[in-house]
Amino acid sequence: MKKKFSFTLVTALLLVGLMACSGEDEGNATSEAGSSGELSGKVTMWTASLSGEPFDSYFADLEAAFEETHPDVDVVIEDIPQNEIEQKVLTSLTGDDVPDVVNLAPRYMINIAAQGGLLELDDLVSEEVQNSYLEGPFKAGYFEENLYALPWYLTTTVSWYNNEHFEQAGITETPKSTQEIYDTAKAITDVTGNPSYFQIINQGDTVIEKMISIANGDPIVEEGKTVLAENEEIVEFFTLTQKMYEEGIMPQENAEGSFSTAQELFMANNLSLLESGVTFLGPLESGAPDVYEASKAGQPLNDLDAPVNVAVMNFSVPSKTDNPDAAVALAEFVTNAENQLEFAKVAGTVLPSTNESLEDEYFTNPGDSPKALGMLEAATSLERSKVLIPPVENSSELYEIVKMAFVKNIQGDMTPEEALQEISEKWDASFEKAGLTPTF
Amino acid sequence: MKAKAQAKKVILYIAMLAICVITVGPFLYTLFISLKPATQGIYDGLLPTRPTFANFSDAFYKTDFVRYLLNTAIVTGIAVPFNLLFSSMAGYALARINFKGRSIVLTLIISTMTVPFQLYMAPLFQIAGELGLRNSYVGLAVLQISTAFGIYFMRQAFLTVPKELEESAYLDGANRFQVWWKVAMPLVKPTLISLAIYTFTFTWGDYLWPLLNTTESSMYTLSIALAQMSQNFDGGNLKLISAASILTTIPSLLIFIWLQKYFISGQTDGAVKG
Repeated sequence: MKKKFSFTLVTALLLVGLMACSGEDEGNATSEAGSSGELSGKVTMWTASLSGEPFDSYFADLEAAFEETHPDVDVVIEDIPQNEIEQKVLTSLTGDDVPDVVNLAPRYMINIAAQGGLLELDDLVSEEVQNSYLEGPFKAGYFEENLYALPWYLTTTVSWYNNEHFEQAGITETPKSTQEIYDTAKAITDVTGNPSYFQIINQGDTVIEKMISIANGDPIVEEGKTVLAENEEIVEFFTLTQKMYEEGIMPQENAEGSFSTAQELFMANNLSLLESGVTFLGPLESGAPDVYEASKAGQPLNDLDAPVNVAVMNFSVPSKTDNPDAAVALAEFVTNAENQLEFAKVAGTVLPSTNESLEDEYFTNPGDSPKALGMLEAATSLERSKVLIPPVENSSELYEIVKMAFVKNIQGDMTPEEALQEISEKWDASFEKAGLTPTF
Repeated sequence: MKAKAQAKKVILYIAMLAICVITVGPFLYTLFISLKPATQGIYDGLLPTRPTFANFSDAFYKTDFVRYLLNTAIVTGIAVPFNLLFSSMAGYALARINFKGRSIVLTLIISTMTVPFQLYMAPLFQIAGELGLRNSYVGLAVLQISTAFGIYFMRQAFLTVPKELEESAYLDGANRFQVWWKVAMPLVKPTLISLAIYTFTFTWGDYLWPLLNTTESSMYTLSIALAQMSQNFDGGNLKLISAASILTTIPSLLIFIWLQKYFISGQTDGAVKG
């Protein structure tokens, strides 16, 4: 019995050892560019939350096309859940298993670049390629005057509304000012008996973007000094959101303020109007088919010439890549006009960041489905869109300050003036502490 | 008197029912969503109007669910027996062998439980890479093998085994290894089963380490697949996500139901002696 047990134990341990050895050195077979100047070796690209169909087929075709152009290059594309991609890149930089090209949102890019984790692309990307991108999204790849990313797909803000609710209230146009939002939302709530308007807060960033749009060209921060309390339209926005929350025109859940809460309420027919990206409709098609059919898109709920935020997804090259030439070539290939256009068609709810692809008929005449209408509006608002919040080191602190003050304001714990005063004082202190003097 | 006892019973049942709704409610809600047909919205009523398994078959066939399920099963299959083996060996040594610095070793092991994973994940990632454990099943399971919790849990259980039983085995000529295997281990079976369930649950649902330690998506586990589905860039299909969540939960549920009798007694065993 004793022998039998010992034998089993030893066999099991050996098995573990063998299995552990089997994975050794896999994924490290990267080589440099070939001596003839032709690209070669392995290049690994990480995408963020783009797994499953139709993306798997799209990336398989993309991989094959790049390998056909560069026969000595082996492209590997892996998908990582978006919320953890920053952590995974940072962890990988501590070892040797580093990807060569990574799909990052600008906020992740800034953090990784600030820690020296990304390659500067200024001299590695030709001027011709740099000029092929839309100016606003391209600038989102800069941090401290160095280029760390090439822009890929975009989403801009549009307004979404439930057309059935609009018809019930006899409304035919989306509002274009905070006062019009109030009047429209009140009319709908009076008819449906439900809250109708939702101001997405997220981390506080969405409220900041909204304030910049409302200011319509006037800065809310001038050389590190906050001036938003002096803007009458912003004061009106704080006043009317507080009033709407108090009167039940905005739901109680708005104090939590996340994008997903807004989606749930809209899907449950408990919301009629809000501003968000085109991807807002994503889960509605399968999760609430009736609401999806009743959904319509319009321009953002501000002046028609006000700046609109654009959310950029881009590609960066980690500084520890073994194959920088092939990595940059792959990033350029994935983000070229032809591939971006194809990707936008496959995804159905995003816009390309290259001038040429936007000229395609797909964006001028995308069809009449709710998603297509959303994309049409997004393509229209793209003309006046830019990254509204500049990349600053203390951005998380700025977001948090606005989130707290905005929530206290809508809940009536502060007057609008007090809330804006609090934001101004805390932002000024934050800029002073960080030694920053931005204007935006 | 009888009426008072009955009223007490009714209150007790209402309380139990309320607790049951709180604990089982979210699971049932997810199940109902997963059974809803394409034409029914997820918020259109609580129950599915025409229940369908289409979301389950989509989750199973339209994703790499089978591969992820297999990966998760293999990783869990490695983690559970090895954690039981090493934790019980270490636990027995700490409970029964009087070696120098035993209390210091025990304190050190327990203190590792207070260190957050985020603090040591980078060095662990490097070590796993250098040992060739990247993209390997052992690499994914290694964190759940010989855990501080398991060692402490088993040590507490071994402390409850009467020393006299072990002493009589020694008198009969058994060595320490035989006493551990043939006398002590059978007496802590409920604790072993509890630890097996804990290890199964932790490994089955482990997310961050498998994500960090894999650079090939073919090695992903179910929890990563679920995150991919739910973090889909345009929000994803909630019926499909619900169906995949249910499919992921079923193995844990079945194992718990099968072993729950031992699990409950095992939990109380560990608490008897400090």
